[in-house]
Amino acid sequence: MKETNEIKLVRTACPAHCGIDACGILAHVKGDRIIKLEPAEFPNKVDRRICLRGLSSLDITYHPDRLKYPMKRIGERGEGKFERISWDEAYEIIAEKFKEISDKYGWRSIGWVLGGPGAGTTKFGAYLRIASLTQSTRVSAWGYGDAGLPCGSRVIFGSQFPYMYLFGKFWQRNWPELLVVWGANPGESMPLQTMRKIMDAKENGTQIVVIDTRFTVTASKADEFLGLKPGTDSALALGLMNVIFQNELHNIEFIREHTNGPYLVRSDNGKILRGKDIGDKKADSYIIWEESSNSPKPVRRKNLQSASITGTYNVNGIECKPVFQLLKDLTQQYPPEKAAEITGVEANLIIKLAKKLGNTKNVTFFTYMGFTRTCHGDISLRGLCSVASVTGHVATSFSSGYLPAVLNWDPFLKAVPDRPSFHRLGILNLYEAVISGKPYPIKALWFAFINFLNQCVDCNKIIKEFYPKLEFIVQTELFMTPSARYADLLLPVCSFLEFSDFVSHPYPYVQLQQKVIEPLYESKSDVNIVAGLAEKLGYGDYFKGGEEAMIDMITDHSSLEGYNRETLGKGAMLLRALPEGGNFPLNFRTPSRKIELYAEQLVEDGQELPVYLPPIEAPITPGEKKYPLTFIQGHSRFRTHSMFSNVKSLLELNPEPIVEINSIDAKARNISDNDMVTVFNDRARTTLKARISDSVGPGVVNITEGWWIEQFKEGSVNHLTHDIINPVQNKIYEPNMHMNDVAVDIMKYKEGGK
Amino acid sequence: MNKRFGLVIDQERCIGCEACTVACKIENNSIGHWIQVETQKVPQKDTPSGQYPDLKLEWLPRLCNHCANPPCVDACPNEALVKREDGPVIYDQEKCDGCQVCVGACPYNVILYIQEKNTIEKCNLCVHRIDKGLEPFCVICCEGQAIYFGDLNDPNSVVSQKIASREAFQLKPEAGTNPSVYYCPPKPRRRL
Ligand code: SF4
Ligand code: SF4
Ligand code: SF4
Ligand code: SF4
Repeated sequence: MKETNEIKLVRTACPAHCGIDACGILAHVKGDRIIKLEPAEFPNKVDRRICLRGLSSLDITYHPDRLKYPMKRIGERGEGKFERISWDEAYEIIAEKFKEISDKYGWRSIGWVLGGPGAGTTKFGAYLRIASLTQSTRVSAWGYGDAGLPCGSRVIFGSQFPYMYLFGKFWQRNWPELLVVWGANPGESMPLQTMRKIMDAKENGTQIVVIDTRFTVTASKADEFLGLKPGTDSALALGLMNVIFQNELHNIEFIREHTNGPYLVRSDNGKILRGKDIGDKKADSYIIWEESSNSPKPVRRKNLQSASITGTYNVNGIECKPVFQLLKDLTQQYPPEKAAEITGVEANLIIKLAKKLGNTKNVTFFTYMGFTRTCHGDISLRGLCSVASVTGHVATSFSSGYLPAVLNWDPFLKAVPDRPSFHRLGILNLYEAVISGKPYPIKALWFAFINFLNQCVDCNKIIKEFYPKLEFIVQTELFMTPSARYADLLLPVCSFLEFSDFVSHPYPYVQLQQKVIEPLYESKSDVNIVAGLAEKLGYGDYFKGGEEAMIDMITDHSSLEGYNRETLGKGAMLLRALPEGGNFPLNFRTPSRKIELYAEQLVEDGQELPVYLPPIEAPITPGEKKYPLTFIQGHSRFRTHSMFSNVKSLLELNPEPIVEINSIDAKARNISDNDMVTVFNDRARTTLKARISDSVGPGVVNITEGWWIEQFKEGSVNHLTHDIINPVQNKIYEPNMHMNDVAVDIMKYKEGGK
Repeated sequence: MNKRFGLVIDQERCIGCEACTVACKIENNSIGHWIQVETQKVPQKDTPSGQYPDLKLEWLPRLCNHCANPPCVDACPNEALVKREDGPVIYDQEKCDGCQVCVGACPYNVILYIQEKNTIEKCNLCVHRIDKGLEPFCVICCEGQAIYFGDLNDPNSVVSQKIASREAFQLKPEAGTNPSVYYCPPKPRRRL
């Protein structure tokens, strides 16, 4: 090391998978060593931020267990025995294996399993680019918990995410009178970008309601907490709408203007009535019942506000009802008492909240992925969005403030513009592709920034049925994670302080993750690893210039003019402000261009409305199923998924996995605090310490996700989970893993017990 | 008038994250945790009190109070503990012989005896930073923006304003130590 007392400051950004927070980091460097990290400034001073994980990042960079050089497996898969090889040998082996496998099964049998890149962009983009060039398979990781929300959002709002419609304005610090946090715990998963704002809002007089299955950190700040049973969210939504409609508190103008509520639906087949059904020359036009003329009319801007949203009509002999009437009919089956019985939330509270939603001018709904990790989580989201829509609490979030960045993904998604690109498989579909070769066989996988075995459902299935079918496994990693042990080739990757990337968070900023020190040992960034392989495969030209060139590809876009490595090197930059008076109209990319309270494409699935469907496995009523408890996986502030699980400074504060169990359930099983207990179902046994805690209601147990398998006495969270596919999600987008829809029981641990 | 530096910790904003704990340890390169976040009313950390769903979860970050009348300073036979004119009570590692008299004298149980060094450790209000005009490290790293730093003798400082506008309290006022760390209690819930 160079001897020097001079301290160099480098501004970078933490891209940890929390992603959304994306703290700006100021690194203090002495010689070639980083000696300290501190929160960096943001253009708006109040946005300076860091969390306990970001603070602990040096413990990752300088962790003694880091993988230091490329390695080849010499023992059995899973044993963790490897021998050192050179990068060149590694590339040779991969190129050869890929050639052999692609000759036999085609390039699409080789898949790239990319986890959440966090806030990073080019490390993800580089893999997409090589997948595109080789026309191999990109395995999408949305399905590992994050596909349920997009499924629902695509149906009702026509967008991947509902955020800009629900709480974009909140992120711009427009404090509402009432904030409803539904099924999310930003207090631990998004403390800076969201939780701070919740507390700012509260200080400014916002009333906070939290709806969750767990009494979380976020719930602890609520004025009112509605504790509901996991997976019953849509029953709650229907109960709320029941009260809203009974009391005529819905926003008729908004429903007419922005939803498909007024469109007539045929009672005979559930299809939305079209012009052609009534002989109108606009064959595809939607039809409303115009109150002024008391007749059916193709929908026009000017007749919208005289559209009837209730009633039954006879149109040329076809019985029809407006969408809104159908929704209303459905909610009639869920009076507050019934909703209370299903959800466990007191009827009285449902009534109070419904009235408040209907009577308050300015309400914001905040949500995230957690509550959509049940089998019908997509409908849960639609239920929430329906409540927001019928009360008119959906906003054009970017009507003030800053335009979101439009990232230029084209060079990655389609490396050669007029050639076919990669194939795509959802991660839950990957199980079948590997195990049974459907829809086509996958024979080799490359895992990057994903701890697959640890974080994906049904570990035993992965170990016994999935891995053995693979001819070749490559993994880029920092550590010998549970998944890394199963790799044939293990490639050491840098920590975020050792490479550059473009970070498009936190809204309303973009940042540069600047390389602070040279990569340690023989590690490389994902971009440079891909570039090295591309060279061997004959695609070297597409990766010339490494990380920097990739960043330029992203920033080289009209929406990011003036944002480049040089300007961003100085610090976070605010996104472009909307021109004065600029306004973003509310528009939706659904088939009807409206909020779809009614989804025509789901009629044959019986899910055209946000119906309540009970969880697939989780027991809602006691005695109903073999295993009486619902197992859920909350998120912990000490980890981002399985990152930071091996960091000493955090383990000092949170040393081991615990299962939270309600006092009533514990008593019934004679379990005391700190007892070793076994959580079990037909798939596995997971043994760890018990914590008696009323943070979960009776019938629910919680283990925070992310602990590594070896940190349990036996099993792990995902030994207990299942790979059931919801076919409707499969049809809409891609199937989600239902980590919070799992049935278990729990007992005191017995040595060697069964 | 002399300055009297102190902190105000707002329980209404504290989310119990322990970023302060981690930050302090890194900044001061300490062995012990000088600021520890206590979950109130329960034996186990981060566990709510009450019965589901009527629950409460509140945190109290505890650290040296930089008492105006610090019994630890009076107790130390080696003058290893000193009360600075501007408020902080600091310790001198070189002078401390590990006798632990101060540990018993402090009513707040915030002096840590570190066996491997045979000396004490405790929060020194980041004097190395405040002497440069910087805020204490836990303040700038606090996730909830719940810790305020300033001069308690200046009625216009953010700390004095917080104390005046909220029902701020000190820990164990009966001990007569007059702490320079104040707490603002959580606000009552506005039920639906
Ligand atoms: S809190 Fe304890 S250690 Fe700190 S000044 Fe007061 S008596 Fe001394
Ligand atoms: S332990 Fe150190 S600081 Fe405490 S009283 Fe003894 S000498 Fe003084
Ligand atoms: S003021 Fe400084 S020394 Fe005291 S707890 Fe905060 S960070 Fe630690
Ligand atoms: S960092 Fe702030 S919010 Fe977190 S525990 Fe400490 S005082 Fe509370």
